[in-house]
Amino acid sequence: MKGQTMTFDQPRPLRQSMSWLHTWSGLLLGWLLFAIFVTGTLSYFRNEITFWMQPELHGAQPVATDQIAFLRALALLGRDAPDAQQWSLTLPTPRNPTLGLSWQAAENRPPAGDVARERPDQSGIRGEGEEGGRRGNRGQGGAPSPDSAAAERSSSDGAIRERPNREGMRGEGEEGGRRGNRGQGGAPSPDSAATERSSSDGAIRERPNRGGMRGEGEEGGRRGGLQREQGEPDSLAAIEDRPPVGDAARERSNSGEARGAQRQQGQGGGGGGHRGPRLVLDPASGSTLEGRPTAGGNFLYRFHFELYGMDRIWARWIVGIATMFMFVALVSGVIVHRRIFKDFFTFRPGKGKRSWLDAHNASSVLSLPFHLIITFSGLVLFGNMLVPSAQQSAYPEGLDAYRAEARRMFVPSDIPKPSGERAPLTDLAALVAVAQNTWNGERVGSITITHPGDRNAVIEMRQMNFPGLTGGRNIPTLRFDGVTGEALATPPMRESSLVQAIGSTLNLLHRGFFATPVPRWLLFLAGIGGSLMIASGLIMWSVSRARKSPGPVPWGHRLVEVTNIAAIAGLIVAIAVHFWANRLIPANLATRADWEIYAFFIAWAIMLLHALLRPGKAAWVEQLACAGALFALLPVVNAATGGLALPGSIGRGLGLLIGFDLCALVSGAGLLFTAYKVHNHVPRARLAAEKPLPGTEPALLPAAMEEAA
Amino acid sequence: MKTWLAVDPAVRQRIDVGVRTVLAVLGGYGLALLGAAALAAGLPFDFRPDAVSLAIMLAFVLHLLAIIWVFATATVIRAVVGLAIPAAFFGLWLLSIRFG
Repeated sequence: MKGQTMTFDQPRPLRQSMSWLHTWSGLLLGWLLFAIFVTGTLSYFRNEITFWMQPELHGAQPVATDQIAFLRALALLGRDAPDAQQWSLTLPTPRNPTLGLSWQAAENRPPAGDVARERPDQSGIRGEGEEGGRRGNRGQGGAPSPDSAAAERSSSDGAIRERPNREGMRGEGEEGGRRGNRGQGGAPSPDSAATERSSSDGAIRERPNRGGMRGEGEEGGRRGGLQREQGEPDSLAAIEDRPPVGDAARERSNSGEARGAQRQQGQGGGGGGHRGPRLVLDPASGSTLEGRPTAGGNFLYRFHFELYGMDRIWARWIVGIATMFMFVALVSGVIVHRRIFKDFFTFRPGKGKRSWLDAHNASSVLSLPFHLIITFSGLVLFGNMLVPSAQQSAYPEGLDAYRAEARRMFVPSDIPKPSGERAPLTDLAALVAVAQNTWNGERVGSITITHPGDRNAVIEMRQMNFPGLTGGRNIPTLRFDGVTGEALATPPMRESSLVQAIGSTLNLLHRGFFATPVPRWLLFLAGIGGSLMIASGLIMWSVSRARKSPGPVPWGHRLVEVTNIAAIAGLIVAIAVHFWANRLIPANLATRADWEIYAFFIAWAIMLLHALLRPGKAAWVEQLACAGALFALLPVVNAATGGLALPGSIGRGLGLLIGFDLCALVSGAGLLFTAYKVHNHVPRARLAAEKPLPGTEPALLPAAMEEAA
Repeated sequence: MKTWLAVDPAVRQRIDVGVRTVLAVLGGYGLALLGAAALAAGLPFDFRPDAVSLAIMLAFVLHLLAIIWVFATATVIRAVVGLAIPAAFFGLWLLSIRFG
């Protein structure tokens, strides 16, 4: 508190107390918030990141799936899962140029006929799907995932049933999974109900794209790998969500998970095999692609809200509390900044603290709506966990009642039960053409086949790019008789109440469930703006104090300086090392997905050590330069280790690889430039000692920097 | 009051900040929980999960406002009163729903 003292026991201006609150709420968990922001920002492209991290998949041709690929896909599904309750295919999308296959085993299904079929799941599932998806992905790619997929599935039995389709997604599902559990499975995850709901919508939408998720499977992958090793049930996902919910529910889900896990092993061949619920095909040739096991973008995604290596519920509480700090820092910062718009157009470079302040203001104000929404929606996503009293109060009869009622938000599925009579499937490629005609050329994103091989088989096609950011949770869907191919009535759409619409919009925005790249890129850029805002705020704390206190550096200031370096520059180095590790660790090493993560943490720890041992400025320069070099060379590493090089990805129009490589180049250049600027920087304090600072009249200094009298 | 004023101003300030921090974090969270409970049970929605969702959203806003109030107001006494009044309101509302 040395820098800014304030007296609380006498009247003082609001802005002064808010300035104090802004400073301390921002600093206290600022380092954690920076990591949450950076990993969350990258998570908008986690599918792309995971795809990049599986160079084995880079050869996939981003073409429309043709009849031969469909035949081959159905043959694979028929061979591997002839008795599945549902098969899912995710078609190539700009976010994932592969064809993904997954299925939901019939055994899993719980007897619960009713529940099972509810669509809610679907939604839920999907929601999860997104996550699930990634899992799934992983699974696919890395094979390891299979289990996870299975697990998830199982976990969500409920879910499973429900949405077989989604299954795929579900696979993904970490969230989904859990969701599934809850929602669907009947395992109600009460908590998440609200959230999930929304998420589900989001998910839903997403899915199409993500359908791809599938591919990506990052998490799935790693989960499959890691968790398994760790002995964690894959279905943690399922669990995770659920907070401290009812024990009964939890047990249920646990058992579900356990079951899942077993199953997984059974199916997945112990997880070791490459076959599993999720397969990845080249849509051009129909040949199977096997990606290396990788932590993928899912590691960053999980870290964003569950950190790593600790109990998920605890981690979520920590992240939730940090988010509340962020919320307080944001709003108090806005109150402090009455001249917010004027300041936005002010940038005074080369003026020490003033420049940092300008940078902090510009990065904050530029995307202030984003910061507020992302922070508030982050809280709401954990709402059932953080504010358990709402559900408890509204449902004195218990969690199950809440879940049951929340599930009504979803429309039950009306797909008939299997007849038991075998019948061949109709021509899938022809149905895809029909669907695309019906949609005036909009492409099919995913296909689910319920009761494949049965007389009552039903095929559902979901659109890849559904319109609208917030238009509802319903992706345009067409339904066909699986044997005759004739169109059936489309599944009922659900209406959202205002509250549900708000909830799903928040979820949608937070998680970037968009089919189109533009809003996703805007979120990504806003996330970078948020990261810069936090970083500049943290640095400003140090810079402003350094100037104020000549003489020996107080230990508190040195602590903040070292932590700033390690938390900001060190984290960026660690992320770069994570990507390098992906390519340098042998592709056939069984535990490679874990080692990608260990490499991240080892690098981070080394950066902390380095920051401790070196003078502040030198540490900044060296770490920024190191991060810059590592990022700038990533495209080279990609090309040298089996990935599709930049010229090739540009030639083939593989936007996700182009985006990754170019982002790495731009970030690397930016970091190197920053290191150069820091290297040449003359501390303002030294200048200040020589002559008075012009333009520092108190009236011009925003309150955040004012010193209490 | 006199003894309080006699304390070293630096110490007094630390105590003041400490008390306010506890009030903001725990008191504010308690108020948010209570408010969410009252709103979830009392908001007139036909579909109860909507009331739960909205109550959760409002709980975060409530906690935020409580924190700002606690640090912005002149004295600790005022900070406590400012939390107690809405807490009493939500508490009575909840009681009237349960037992009214």
